[in-house]
Amino acid sequence: MTPSPDARPDETDMELIRRWKAGDSRAATSLVGRHSQALARFAASAGEREEIEELVQDTFVRAFASLDSFRGESSLRTWLFTIERRLMLDRRRVERRSRETVPVEESDHVSEYGALDSIIADEAQERVRKSLDALSPTQREVFILRVQQGLSYKEIAVVVGSTEGAARVHYHNAIQTVKEFLRDE
Amino acid sequence: MNKCNELDIQEMLPDLLHGKLDADARAQVEAHVVSCGECTEDLRVLRTVKSAAVFIPEIDVDRVVRQIPPYRGILPAAQTPTRSRVVSWLVAASLIVVVLGGGSLLMIQKSPTLSPVAGVASSKSPTGALTQTGRPSDVPATLPIKSSTVSQTSAPHALALATAVDGLSDNNLRQLMDDLNNFDALPATEPGPVISVDNGDGLDQGSR
Repeated sequence: MTPSPDARPDETDMELIRRWKAGDSRAATSLVGRHSQALARFAASAGEREEIEELVQDTFVRAFASLDSFRGESSLRTWLFTIERRLMLDRRRVERRSRETVPVEESDHVSEYGALDSIIADEAQERVRKSLDALSPTQREVFILRVQQGLSYKEIAVVVGSTEGAARVHYHNAIQTVKEFLRDE
Repeated sequence: MNKCNELDIQEMLPDLLHGKLDADARAQVEAHVVSCGECTEDLRVLRTVKSAAVFIPEIDVDRVVRQIPPYRGILPAAQTPTRSRVVSWLVAASLIVVVLGGGSLLMIQKSPTLSPVAGVASSKSPTGALTQTGRPSDVPATLPIKSSTVSQTSAPHALALATAVDGLSDNNLRQLMDDLNNFDALPATEPGPVISVDNGDGLDQGSR
């Protein structure tokens, strides 16, 4: 491996990808450092409660293993969100199956709420979290990607495997629901 | 609160939050928000959601990078196509064998329906007389063939007879041609019962 300086702030993702393909492992470090927090935030906001770090790690492992299929038609972050979302869907599918066979115990709820108590900083944020919980999974993903990550509707459509128009509709429905929820609280 | 009709501007509010609007668009959106109660509320909600602190574990970047496999690149073009070409040829050869085998089977299945006709057509006695009806071979083939004597199922036999007309006289040939012209190949109704015509030569003895 050829040692190289860390990524410059203006260095694009595509340049870092080229460097990594050329054998520069620091480029991978730069890419992971650049996008890992956004992936973790998306996962947490989308409802993932456990093993977020593993989810982010799996996302990067899959992404780097198939970087040749990334043609740069969307941003790298959008592509990473797409991979992460698929992994989340897989997880939920597995969880749903196991929930069908294993009865949920009372202690599960207690530990979850106990953890959340320490997570949510104040009452306003707790209300926001509850309002997001009131959304459908797709609405929540679209809303988070739009509001927290600042993705365009076109990019959101790529991530959730939908159309731009559908993403707009999901966003509008989501913000109406969130507003109503916060008004009623 | 009045409902906002500026859908385009409503949709740009998240972009305003993320500083993604150019100067003109930003000025336009900000001017609208000042005068629109719904958009003001939307922007407040969006700010709350954006700044909402959710628990995000600190990601150990080095740990993640250690799990990433080294780049292996795309295999050289000379390696993969050679193998895939061999596989392609094998698949093509297999397909040909299957198609030929299937075709042969079909031919074998069809052949029993063809052979009787061919057999009748070629079943001429050394004297040229027809033996298909069981008539003695020394009987001259001068009998006229009436279409009414032939049921629908015997149509192939009539055609077979027509291929062996060497022994017929001119008159018989003419009559045969007339019969063929009057022959209704595709009857519109169910075929009627076979009517035997007694022309005295014992041709229809079996049906009596």
